[in-house]
Amino acid sequence: MKGKISRSILIIAMLLLSVILGACSEKEASNQSAGKEGPKQTSEKSSYPSKPIQVIVPAGAGGDTDLNARLLGKYLEKELGQPIVISNVNGAGGSVGAKQVLDSNPDGYNVLFFHNSLLLNKILGLVDYSYDSFKLAGISLLDQGNTFIVNSKSKFKDLKDMIAYAKKNPGKVTIATEVGGFTHLQLKALEKDQGIKLNIVDVGSASEKITALMGNRVDIVPTSLGLVTDYIKSKKFRTLGIMAKDRVDLMPDVPTFIEQGANVSFEKFFFYGFPKETPDDVVEKFSKAVEKVVNNKEYIEEAKKSLVTPTYMNPQEAFDYIKETDEYYKELNSDQ
Amino acid sequence: MLEMLIAGFTAVLTFKIILLIVLGVILGLIFGSIPGLTATMAIAICLPITYGMEPAAGMSLLMGLYIGGVSGGLIPAILLKLPGTPSSIATTFDGYPMAQKGLAGKAFSYAILASFFGGLLSIIVLILISPPLGNLAVQFGPFEYFAIVIFSLTLIASLSGDSISKGIMAGLLGIGFAMVGSAPIDAFPRFTFGFSSLDAGFNLLPVLIGLFAISEILLTAEQKMKTKLKADYSNSGYRLTIKELAGQGWNFLRSSLIGLGIGILPGIGGGTSNLVAYAAAKNQSKNPEKFGTGIPDGVVASESSNNAAIGGALVPLVSLGIPGDTVTAMLLGGLVLHGLQPGPMLIQTHGDIVYGIFAALLIANVFMLAFLYLGMRGFIKLLSIPQHILLPIIITLCVVGAYGVNNRLFDVGALLFFGVIGYLMMKFNFPLTPLVLGFILGPLLETNLRRGLMLSQGDFTPFLTEPIAAAFLLLTFFSLFFKFWKNRKNRKDLNVTDHNNVTS
Repeated sequence: MKGKISRSILIIAMLLLSVILGACSEKEASNQSAGKEGPKQTSEKSSYPSKPIQVIVPAGAGGDTDLNARLLGKYLEKELGQPIVISNVNGAGGSVGAKQVLDSNPDGYNVLFFHNSLLLNKILGLVDYSYDSFKLAGISLLDQGNTFIVNSKSKFKDLKDMIAYAKKNPGKVTIATEVGGFTHLQLKALEKDQGIKLNIVDVGSASEKITALMGNRVDIVPTSLGLVTDYIKSKKFRTLGIMAKDRVDLMPDVPTFIEQGANVSFEKFFFYGFPKETPDDVVEKFSKAVEKVVNNKEYIEEAKKSLVTPTYMNPQEAFDYIKETDEYYKELNSDQ
Repeated sequence: MLEMLIAGFTAVLTFKIILLIVLGVILGLIFGSIPGLTATMAIAICLPITYGMEPAAGMSLLMGLYIGGVSGGLIPAILLKLPGTPSSIATTFDGYPMAQKGLAGKAFSYAILASFFGGLLSIIVLILISPPLGNLAVQFGPFEYFAIVIFSLTLIASLSGDSISKGIMAGLLGIGFAMVGSAPIDAFPRFTFGFSSLDAGFNLLPVLIGLFAISEILLTAEQKMKTKLKADYSNSGYRLTIKELAGQGWNFLRSSLIGLGIGILPGIGGGTSNLVAYAAAKNQSKNPEKFGTGIPDGVVASESSNNAAIGGALVPLVSLGIPGDTVTAMLLGGLVLHGLQPGPMLIQTHGDIVYGIFAALLIANVFMLAFLYLGMRGFIKLLSIPQHILLPIIITLCVVGAYGVNNRLFDVGALLFFGVIGYLMMKFNFPLTPLVLGFILGPLLETNLRRGLMLSQGDFTPFLTEPIAAAFLLLTFFSLFFKFWKNRKNRKDLNVTDHNNVTS
């Protein structure tokens, strides 16, 4: 009796397991067959990719880095004919995931998807590698909606108001950030440009910043416009402007900081990086696939929803762009 | 409200979506019941699958996984003394002793009913009053969190077993382990000894599973070599009388409210709620000395609070778009990928989906109850699998789970390391729970202290003068004072009886 029941439990468990495994392998099989039919001519030059590619996202599931990576991954699968597996390797401001890619096998099946924070970790002396330790496969998209938001009841109507107040009351405007993060640098740049002193406090991640603003613990929250559209629509928050060089098509009504007299511009860029020893033709092939995705109308349409601008830069362009950015960041950080 | 809920039910009551909920609950229960695999992982794995579905269908699957994943932990907690998830640590304290006494069936009945009603209560609260509760939750800043964490840390006194000094040592050890890795705020690496793999510190899951599961398996292995242990589980009844159930009423309500409250506050989470609820039940009990020997109160406290934390964690997500823990952070990502912008407008602009989520939660809760009840006899039979076959399988699953946390082999090493630590601590009679509590709460304490000081520009007074913070600190003071006073009184009583014995 006992044996029978435990055996039947075993059988049920095995059935469940096989269903799960079956579902997985079915997906893989269909992808593989798609790959065989797909880019046949190129397979003579190199068979890459012949197995799933792991994209390491050094941030948690559900954040903007993760969402961008997953959306791109969905379209990249079609271009490359192999599954794109998104792995979240979270921790230490993204340096754990970045390091994992650097230490991985340079065969083109491990790639990092990350943003500006990689540069900052090096500049702040937390790690000893940066963008130039990777073989870049290009930049895939820009987020130009870096903004300051305030509670809708705030006394600051626009950026000028806020700067004028801060000039009269040094250290009185409380502004949220994540120390050592991208927003921290924006605040430093604004302080330097306008000769003001802000009370910069750490409140944590993007969602914790929103909580702090709702609870009126801070006056201003720097964040990405795409993350807070609902709060702005519901008139809970207002934006003081964005840090783009020019007005952005996705948000034509939002003035830039430069228009309002603050010479501060920042863009968040998202790039793919392979370990240094990865063969050139592999990186090139991946980069070409990224280019196709970024120009794909369907993808552009989907990306629009989160207010990001799909923009392709090839490896060389990306390198120059990031190098320029890196020098600017270093300069900002040198005289604090 | 009611119309919306009915509309939500009609959206969800299709064959396909019910099937997805059932699948979600089953898969969640499996993940929850295997030590090392958690609700978080089940959702992480299934999240990409939902991208291809309708929003309501996708979210229904995820809700099933969430409820199943949190509930499944009670099975190994009661049967094997292994917490399947962080939210069922306290279930092992009394659930396992009950099982050893031959009351596994009763322990299951209590745990399952507590889970069901705890979940139900929190879902009803979520549906009825989430906007005001969400607005209350955002009023909690660093000063308030600091005070709550201090309060929770003093619970170590109630959870440290025979010796408070050993409990405090274990708690400090936990805080110490939590300090390894990047410091909060400035991310400066501490105690890494130059190993870059330590930069991110230790993850909670390998620490927890190592301490509780691996150590327990090591201990069992050792005992097996000496004696052949065989407990008798066959003669256990499942039925509970109305009287037995009614006796748990207040305990159930208090524990559910604690779970709900902790769930609502972003960042604390279900791993803490079951311990706090257990400690509260023990402190308020007329016979606290019976806790840990296998009484239903402990099981009910733990299991009602962890399921109540589900509805709680969804409150800020649904009303404000703020995720309270890792699971809700992923649910938020799921909403965004379906083109829904989470925030205060979600309930107005996409009320159909939000109420669909509520309906899915209610349905999943019922299925959870049904599956656990139907499976109960089967789970108990699991114990008839010889331990030398069962335990190695569990170790393998623990290793898979630890690796799955962050896709790193380092976490597997950490798992084994903490397994050995836990084994040594048990050998020398150190309680494990304070270590876990210290590990979870230490970083919260430090982060909020530093954030609070940044906000007040170096001034300590707001920690004492902010009303909510002050209330919690007073509560801490009184609960410690009360405990101290009670201990003294007990000792005096003992002395008196000793004296009498000598004279007589």
